[in-house]
Amino acid sequence: MEPTQNTNPASPDAPSDRGDLVTTTAEGAKGPISLEALMAGDEKAFEQLVIQESPRLFRVIVRIVGDDDEAASILQETFLQAFQRINTFRRESKLTTWLYAIGINLARASLRKSRRLSSLEDQEVERMQPDFNRGMFVETPAVWDPARVTELADRRQLVRRGIEQLPEDYKTVLVLRDIEEYSTEEVANMLGISSGAVRVRLHRARGALRKLLDPHMRRLPKD
Amino acid sequence: MKFITALKTALGMAPGCEQVNEFLAEYVEGTLDEKMRAQFQEHMDMCKCCDHYLDQYRHTIQLTKETDEISVPSELAEHTLAFLRKSNAFASDQDAASS
Repeated sequence: MEPTQNTNPASPDAPSDRGDLVTTTAEGAKGPISLEALMAGDEKAFEQLVIQESPRLFRVIVRIVGDDDEAASILQETFLQAFQRINTFRRESKLTTWLYAIGINLARASLRKSRRLSSLEDQEVERMQPDFNRGMFVETPAVWDPARVTELADRRQLVRRGIEQLPEDYKTVLVLRDIEEYSTEEVANMLGISSGAVRVRLHRARGALRKLLDPHMRRLPKD
Repeated sequence: MKFITALKTALGMAPGCEQVNEFLAEYVEGTLDEKMRAQFQEHMDMCKCCDHYLDQYRHTIQLTKETDEISVPSELAEHTLAFLRKSNAFASDQDAASS
């Protein structure tokens, strides 16, 4: 029987206290990963951490770099660095937040090195926000067709391509907040920015993605 | 937008579309304080532009959540552990290799 892995922080079994981790064994019995054991360099505890966190961290990295093989390689390097630097963990955040910060930094460095950059610039994201005059909308936003939003065959691909186009700073925040559902504070800790900066980037990322989806989701005029 | 709401906005007594938009994420997440939320709600109820934009904004969040699943290779963790052992990260592996 394959091990079931608890990677959903929203689940009741998710780690709640800083540094506390819960894993599920192959037999289905839950056991804690001791932070003290991890800090002491216990290999079995670290193996448990790798098994528990690999799937979710891999998904985050894939969404940043856009390549499965590269993401798997970054994941390996992330755990290697984490194991070598575990004694630098200051317990000021969850251990997973610290771990994900390493992975995200490596993913961003890889993206810069490979020059597989997003197609949109920061200034374009700004221009994709709605226009206001004297505090009021300049144009009335179109009505989206609920049927297209829920039934358009290629909507998932449209969204994925839209996310891929976002500048890396915006894409990372959107992935962590709206897809992986980390809290604003957790994302701020992972990225080393303020909660306010997370909120601003998230709002602009959503606004830009909305603009990209708009032509596909509008209610079509009746014949 | 109804005249009275427009007038209150023009007089700075109620938020306009731009201010509502600036705090839309907080509005959607329900983290605005009660007074601000009531003001925003009043604006939303009267303003077709903000109502349409809010609808698009909510759908964008929902569509983002439902985007393509990333399939995780079944051997991912095992390969990562093999890499760590190969990198001599684990001291016991180094001991085993040297003995």
